[in-house]
Amino acid sequence: MKARLVHRDDVLKIVDLLRQKGYEVVAPFFGRGRDTRFDNVTDENRDEIQIHLPNPYHPPKRFVLLQIERLLRIHQREGQIEIEPTYREPKRAIFGIRSCDIAGIWHLDRFFLGREFRDIYYEKRRENLFLVNVVCSDPERDIGAECFCVCSDTGPAARDHFDLQLLDLNDGEFMVVAGSPAGEAMFADPIFRKGTSVHSAKRRAVLESARRSFKPSTTSWFSAAIRHVSAGKVAEQTWEEIGNRCLECGGCSYVCPACTCFTVTDRRVGPDEVERVRIWDACALGGFTRMAGGHNPRKAVHDRRNRRFFRKLSHYFIQRELSIACVGCGRCAAVCHGDVGMPSVVEMIRRSAAEMETHEHAQL
Amino acid sequence: MNTPSSDNIYLPKIAVLDRSVDEIAEVKTFYWHFDDPAEQAAFKKFRPGQFAQVSLFGAGEFPASLPPSPTEEETFFTIRTVGSCTAALHSLEPGDKFGVRGPYGNGFPMEDYYGKNLVFVAGGIGLIPLRSCIIYALAHRDKYEKIQIYYGAKSPKDLMYLQNLREWEEGAGVEFNLTVDRAEATWKGHVGVVGSLFKKPGVRVPVENTVAFVCGPPIMFRFVIKDLQALGFHDGQIVSTMERYMKCGVGKCGHCCIGMAYVCVDGPVFTYEQIKKLGEDI
Ligand SMILES: Cc1cc2nc3c(=O)[nH]c(=O)nc-3n(C[C@H](O)[C@H](O)[C@H](O)COP(=O)(O)OP(=O)(O)OC[C@H]3O[C@@H](n4cnc5c(N)ncnc54)[C@H](O)[C@@H]3O)c2cc1C
Ligand code: SF4
Ligand code: SF4
Ligand code: FES
Repeated sequence: MKARLVHRDDVLKIVDLLRQKGYEVVAPFFGRGRDTRFDNVTDENRDEIQIHLPNPYHPPKRFVLLQIERLLRIHQREGQIEIEPTYREPKRAIFGIRSCDIAGIWHLDRFFLGREFRDIYYEKRRENLFLVNVVCSDPERDIGAECFCVCSDTGPAARDHFDLQLLDLNDGEFMVVAGSPAGEAMFADPIFRKGTSVHSAKRRAVLESARRSFKPSTTSWFSAAIRHVSAGKVAEQTWEEIGNRCLECGGCSYVCPACTCFTVTDRRVGPDEVERVRIWDACALGGFTRMAGGHNPRKAVHDRRNRRFFRKLSHYFIQRELSIACVGCGRCAAVCHGDVGMPSVVEMIRRSAAEMETHEHAQL
Repeated sequence: MNTPSSDNIYLPKIAVLDRSVDEIAEVKTFYWHFDDPAEQAAFKKFRPGQFAQVSLFGAGEFPASLPPSPTEEETFFTIRTVGSCTAALHSLEPGDKFGVRGPYGNGFPMEDYYGKNLVFVAGGIGLIPLRSCIIYALAHRDKYEKIQIYYGAKSPKDLMYLQNLREWEEGAGVEFNLTVDRAEATWKGHVGVVGSLFKKPGVRVPVENTVAFVCGPPIMFRFVIKDLQALGFHDGQIVSTMERYMKCGVGKCGHCCIGMAYVCVDGPVFTYEQIKKLGEDI
């Protein structure tokens, strides 16, 4: 992988370069309070782009998998039906995307493009997407209390699946790594300067200290939880306990960069015209599996919660998708009213599995 | 960007309704064909047990089994009206257009069953997906050993595919057994749940080298499984189709996912052995 240096004052010039190349660029900004968000970069807000900030709750996933997306426009006139697929192929760049969200997009790639059926709507949005990853290196501003990418092995520095990766060396320089030919092509611009082995050593030191600034947390048991869920070593009672705490708001799915489920619905937009749209959906919601006539095979809330965690943590699905559906961003923990986000669930699974271990109960 | 339509997995193709025929209360059979003959030819390569996604634009899209056998000429669906999409289909007149895409799902591996006895057990509209296999098996009669059909409906007026029932009753090479849950005194046939047919005098269900196809409402399914197990069937010999809420039919929307399977792509056909491992109710 090729790397270059960029001076702190030149970092946002990467955004300018991308805009000159015709990319619509989205980047992170501060909102009010803790609130941060990805937004379109304009001439007016360009200087307010943030490099170090808490990762926005609303994941950048929405730029490749729209929360509401029209799939088809259908014209019905005099007994004739015309179906028009409505594709959009934006040339978009996401500047400042965090490593967990890079892994999230990789999971979506595997899921929507990696199997027998390819999703053309996703493909067209993904094709021209340019990803500028920023490594979370600042323990105060970047790394949140809920973050556990070190446990899910997706961060703080993404290994691949980005075009460019920026790391603040904390000395006025950023080290930029190219992860794709498109990324490397950017290095033609004079803002990118050659560095030395001193800079590489510095990069490793910054990364090392970033990794150490994660607080010890329940998610240290993440890989153990994967093993227990895969082996069915979680008591029914634990799923019930998790289910009892879930308020069925669906929030965990809506903030998750690796959730993929959607529903499809038709809506009338004119006397002769109907649109077919897809909308993000969540397995927490009661209607997710309820069939016509009212039969619902997953009636109990805990059956539905069980589903979320099995889909995310079982070896079976990790292998099937060749990537994992939890990338350690911690967002679900931040939004859940019932404290059954991933970190708490990992802890509950650990306790449940320990209960089932006979050696835990060894007698004197 | 002219993408060939086949590349869009969500894009329905235009179908034309030829005619609809009443089966039983609230259930009709809809004969249709694709507007484009090339689509029709491609679609006709479906396997028994597969399904299609049917679009009624403005109402939505729903999954429907393919009751015809690929060895038959016409393509059709048999649909009970229960909600918005199915009601919209029921309101169509011959010549009206709608959308179809598919075929989807794994279907029954009918070639793997060559040389075996086939036992079909259908309850109510569970006969819809099994009709395809039965017609297919009878069209390849020399490939199979014994073929038996056990069909149960609520009452005599709930019997579907009457023409086929008559053929099976009279036809050579197939043992056909019919029952209804309740009937007026004028009914000459058997009365009782479908599993009671296994104990009817003269009936002998082959167990060795047999595949049992079971489709019907959840309660019927559970009882028939018990009956078959009592006869000596093991769970891998019993095949069925799972029904789950579906939105896409192609493994993307996540709605039909149970245990380790997406019913729309890994199913809807599973052996009972597999169904038990999925860990959810039928
Ligand atoms: C593989 C498969 C094959 C089927 N074959 C047949 C058949 O041959 N004949 C028949 O009459 N019925 C069949 N069904 C059931 C049929 O799909 C539902 O009755 C139908 O979806 C109800 O749609 P609706 O719009 O009328 O009802 P609504 O309650 O308005 O449903 C709205 C939407 O919910 C989803 N949905 C609701 N119930 C079901 C359900 N039971 N299964 C799947 N999705 C559902 C669909 O996307 C549907 O469009 C099959 C179901 C599956 C999964
Ligand atoms: S955020 Fe919490 S309460 Fe809401 S659906 Fe998810 S688990 Fe349930
Ligand atoms: S499950 Fe929670 S922690 Fe894992 S990726 Fe989704 S939102 Fe982030
Ligand atoms: S119906 Fe959408 S995943 Fe199976």
